[in-house]
Amino acid sequence: MRDFSYLRANSIDAARQAAALPGAMLLAGGTTLIDLAKCGVTEPDTVVDITHLKGLDTVTVDDQGAMIGALARMSSVADDADIKSRFPAVSEALWQAASAQLRNMATIGGNLMQRTRCPYFRDPANFPACNKRSPGSGCSAIGGVTRGHAVLGTSEACIATYPGDLATALVAFDAIVHLGDRQIATDDFFLLPDATPDREHAIAPGEMITAIGIPASAAARRSTYLKVRDRQSYEFAAAGAAVGVEFEADGRTIKDLRVALGGVATKPWRARAVEEALKGKLLEPDTVRRASLLAIEGAVDHGANQYKIELAPRVVARAILKVGETA
Amino acid sequence: MTVHEIRTRHCDSKRGDASDGAVLAEAVGGRLSRVDGPAKITGAAKYAVEQQLDGLSHAVLVESTIAAGRVRSIDTAAAESAPGVLLVLTPDNVLRLNTATDWLGTPPPDAPYYPLARDITFSGQHVAAVVAESFEQAVAAAALVKVSYDEMAAIVDLSDPKAGDGIPIDAMTKEWGDAQAAFASAPVRICAAYNTPREYQTPLEPHGLIAHWEGDQLTVWEPSQWLDGMARTYAEWFGVPFENVRLISPYIGGGFGSKAFAYGYSAVAAIAAKMLGRPVKLAVTRPQTFTAYGGRAATRQTVALGADAEGRIQSIVHRGVNETSVDGMWVEPLGSVTSIMYATPNFSSRQNVVRVNTVVPGALRAPGENPSAFGIESAIDELADEVGIDPLEIRLRNYAEQDPEVKKPWSTRQLREAYAAGAEAFGWSKRTPEPRSMRDGNQLIGWGVAAGTYPVRRAYGEAVVRILADGSVEVESSSIDMGQGTYTILAQTAAEVVGVPAENVVVKLGDSRYPRAGVTGGSRLAGVMTGAVYKAATAALDQLVGLAISDPNSPFHALQANTLVVTKGRIASPRGDGPEVSITELLGSVGRDHIEAMGDTMPANSTVEDRYKNYTTIATALSHTEGDYSRHSWCAHFIEVRVDEDFGTVRVSRVVSALDSGRLYNPKLAESQWRGGIIMGIGQALLEEGIVDRRHGRIVNNNLADYLIATNADIPDIEVISVGIPDPHSSVLGGKGVGELGIVGVAPAIANAVFHATGKRVRDLPITLEKLI
Amino acid sequence: MTSKTPIHLDINGHRHELEVEPRVTLLDALRDHLGLTGTKKGCDHGQCGACTVHVDGQRVLACLTLAAQAEGRAVTTIEGLAEGDGTLHAVQAAFLEQDAFQCGYCTPGQIMSAVACIREGHAGSDDEIREYMAGNLCRCGAYPHIVAAVRQAALEVAS
Repeated sequence: MRDFSYLRANSIDAARQAAALPGAMLLAGGTTLIDLAKCGVTEPDTVVDITHLKGLDTVTVDDQGAMIGALARMSSVADDADIKSRFPAVSEALWQAASAQLRNMATIGGNLMQRTRCPYFRDPANFPACNKRSPGSGCSAIGGVTRGHAVLGTSEACIATYPGDLATALVAFDAIVHLGDRQIATDDFFLLPDATPDREHAIAPGEMITAIGIPASAAARRSTYLKVRDRQSYEFAAAGAAVGVEFEADGRTIKDLRVALGGVATKPWRARAVEEALKGKLLEPDTVRRASLLAIEGAVDHGANQYKIELAPRVVARAILKVGETA
Repeated sequence: MTVHEIRTRHCDSKRGDASDGAVLAEAVGGRLSRVDGPAKITGAAKYAVEQQLDGLSHAVLVESTIAAGRVRSIDTAAAESAPGVLLVLTPDNVLRLNTATDWLGTPPPDAPYYPLARDITFSGQHVAAVVAESFEQAVAAAALVKVSYDEMAAIVDLSDPKAGDGIPIDAMTKEWGDAQAAFASAPVRICAAYNTPREYQTPLEPHGLIAHWEGDQLTVWEPSQWLDGMARTYAEWFGVPFENVRLISPYIGGGFGSKAFAYGYSAVAAIAAKMLGRPVKLAVTRPQTFTAYGGRAATRQTVALGADAEGRIQSIVHRGVNETSVDGMWVEPLGSVTSIMYATPNFSSRQNVVRVNTVVPGALRAPGENPSAFGIESAIDELADEVGIDPLEIRLRNYAEQDPEVKKPWSTRQLREAYAAGAEAFGWSKRTPEPRSMRDGNQLIGWGVAAGTYPVRRAYGEAVVRILADGSVEVESSSIDMGQGTYTILAQTAAEVVGVPAENVVVKLGDSRYPRAGVTGGSRLAGVMTGAVYKAATAALDQLVGLAISDPNSPFHALQANTLVVTKGRIASPRGDGPEVSITELLGSVGRDHIEAMGDTMPANSTVEDRYKNYTTIATALSHTEGDYSRHSWCAHFIEVRVDEDFGTVRVSRVVSALDSGRLYNPKLAESQWRGGIIMGIGQALLEEGIVDRRHGRIVNNNLADYLIATNADIPDIEVISVGIPDPHSSVLGGKGVGELGIVGVAPAIANAVFHATGKRVRDLPITLEKLI
Repeated sequence: MTSKTPIHLDINGHRHELEVEPRVTLLDALRDHLGLTGTKKGCDHGQCGACTVHVDGQRVLACLTLAAQAEGRAVTTIEGLAEGDGTLHAVQAAFLEQDAFQCGYCTPGQIMSAVACIREGHAGSDDEIREYMAGNLCRCGAYPHIVAAVRQAALEVAS
């Protein structure tokens, strides 16, 4: 790891100003930044430690929704009683991510900035070609070991999977990223790779995530995050689904449905086609399974990740049926 | 430097619920808690690279990024001018070493050995190293070393068209009867191919060392499964006498076969220390643990079983292949279980080894037996399904009453008992035979069984037992404890023989200055070392009693006793007459500050040369079929899996294993090792696979986030049942091997359970979800 | 840049002064600079849990924490867990009794994680213990023994 200067920010403004300097990066939990610095992927000149800022770690939940400070730890949000009861998918996405230690370190804001686990991205010494690291250098993953790579939202420049679980739940429930005064929908915060996979987030130098807002909804209250992976724990998703449902008064007809996929796409993947196909329908297994196939419309595999195209709709269907059951 | 000491402590040491009768916890066979435990749970145990030495510098390796070719040039300018850098080693300036004798004792060629390579034969080969004042400086400078290559096409793995059929290993050929003809005419025939991928030891403590020269004396702190063997390697590399090298390894953070040798990076650190004249620490990074030494070779087997309609095997035809490196030889004996598990009148097993561009593979828990069992124990399950016989019944029907290969009786084989005890505890009789016949909601449930075995490897060990004037007893040996419990069982052995409480025994291991020991591998150490300590302690006790009887100043001198007994550190006549004194009082009265005796398990009349060979090579180890018996440990695993029918994910939900390791020196610790092997087997079956990028010949999942080993959440309760009886033909005290046995047969038991759950037979490990979806 | 800066670390109730570069992790500061080697390095990338320590009472990974970040916070390592007179913490004693380790290398991290797991209220059932201890890999395979030890210690801590 190259050496860097360490600055401890004592205000949000100071943090923003410092972060706007060339070569400066914000340091929160460190679970991505320090890891990638050791890999030689990030080489900050200055790290700006924001973990000592006050007032950015609160979680407030009311009838309008939840407001989660950017420095709230994943673990404290996962265990928050109001988040558990009103946004179960958010809590479940959080506690199934990483490990207890990492969740104690990682912040909500930092979690949104988590980088891909693509092994080619993470190993610059052996794989110099990576459009995400060095625009125009090529993609080492295409044609390589692709078992974990994305099947949705890929481009010729990049097939790296967005690895997070939380953001999958956030896009399902229309959460808003607060960058100080500027607000942006989570779905718009994450960018498709297209020809510029180095640009992952709609955030400018000097901007800093300050909070995440999640609007209250009946679908969020009746929601789940289902994560499927090889190992029972401490692993990224092979496929994950955040799902929430609201029924009409009859308790059977779907009034509102939210579906987002994780672990299979280059960004948290809202599956609106599934939602639209099922709204107004009865929640029945065959209907749900058929509609869930719409989740992977347009999917493209790269060999070893072909199973994700089979798996993802099944995860979506199971999740929908699960939230449907738990009336 | 501190000499490592361990004193036993009272823990749950008075429970006495040993498996073989009401044994005191601290006696041999008792459930004494680990005597090295307190140091490990308080952080006091210092592992190799944790020594704090004045002037310590830090070395970091630079590895090749191509799998085949040649280093064209290395630009070290930027690294050399980086802050704190002391030395940049490349093939151009690295010291020329002698090639060392290999572990088999093969005399080395008269050729130099360079641990930094110009000719590249695998990705991840050491090509340079940077030594700096601090670890951080060395890491940063190593990233500045620029290596350019002339790349050539690599043979990436066994399936590479360039790989060919490989080299026949005639020594692996085992044949009797006419296997091909018998197979061709058998009423029932099955034939299938079984593959296992590259697997890695991944001990939680990465490899590494601190090397320190003082004149021509080299001290190395390095985790080691074989102090004397590694000391020999260093001595030969540098052309110094064996006695000039001291290996220190009181604690080893897991080895699983990977820490028995000094590797290339070991040489690099020792060279750097010599060139700089100061101690050098080289800690291998986690990614480097996948290429700095080898894991288990990828293997392929075909197993053909011919049987009659009742499932009685008439012929086994077995062909195996394992990969090795371009310039090294590793044979993973794939027919080792195939040839002994079942009675068959006709048998043929042959094996080839294929060279690919990889680091030379190495030993990983039960090398040979592990993949071998995956083949034969899957195949017999397929036969059971083919003829419609219960998988347990078909194993009993083909039970080998003697070793089918060498035609000798088993020393002990409690496998039938293992099947019975395991089946009973598991509830096997409630199994419904049809695949997909058991389910719980979305989860298909499957029950599988498989057997395992491991040979009893016997070698040599020495120990000194010293009875001190304060009444304590010291045991010294250059053997090691990497978690198997050596400290504890040797304390128990000495305590029982001498007649002192185990808490009064101090066991010192892990220093090549101590009496010698051979390799800790192949589950041989416990049997060897309890034997050596038993003999040394017996000799020390004899001396003590002899002094007490004959020394004119002894309080027993007038008693004219033939013998005396020592109990709880006090000496008395067995008849109860005469005095009773403590060891301290006796040694005081006869004017001695200690009594010392050496014991070993070597043949009588061994020469100095024999002794050196016995401890620094495996050339003289005894075959498990030497003499009148065939000696092996045995086990049977009964495993339940739950397979999500939509997702293809497999979780192990229940394990019952019954194991025959002969007499257990400490059941508490043996059970832990068995479970550990079973757990590693669960990971092997479901998770573990080194994945090669075929364009680059490089393992890309070279870390613990991508090379998945089982977590706590993957492991259910595991019931282990000891069915062993003392085996006097296997060791002095009646034990057989423990450490390797548990893993053997786990993967096929899981594959068999997955078949029962899903109707799908997976013959390629690991059983990942895409194979079932 | 590349200059050492003085920092103060509060470790196991003792104040330590050291001069380190900003890039030095808490793990390397403990092991290489302070000689507190009970905290282990297994992967250096947050993938194994061997370096688990407590910062302000929360279990975290020292390998992904800069030493400078820990300034002003209370760090507890395995060396600081037992009482001053050597009396073992209930979790340490349970690990010994249940034989919840073999090689011992992951053990300090397991124990620090287990202490926090119990304190967090995540030791309510065997399955919960398994999940909340999953961030500590053990290659020797002591997992069932670790679960038994955490279960036992949780009861003792509660009583």
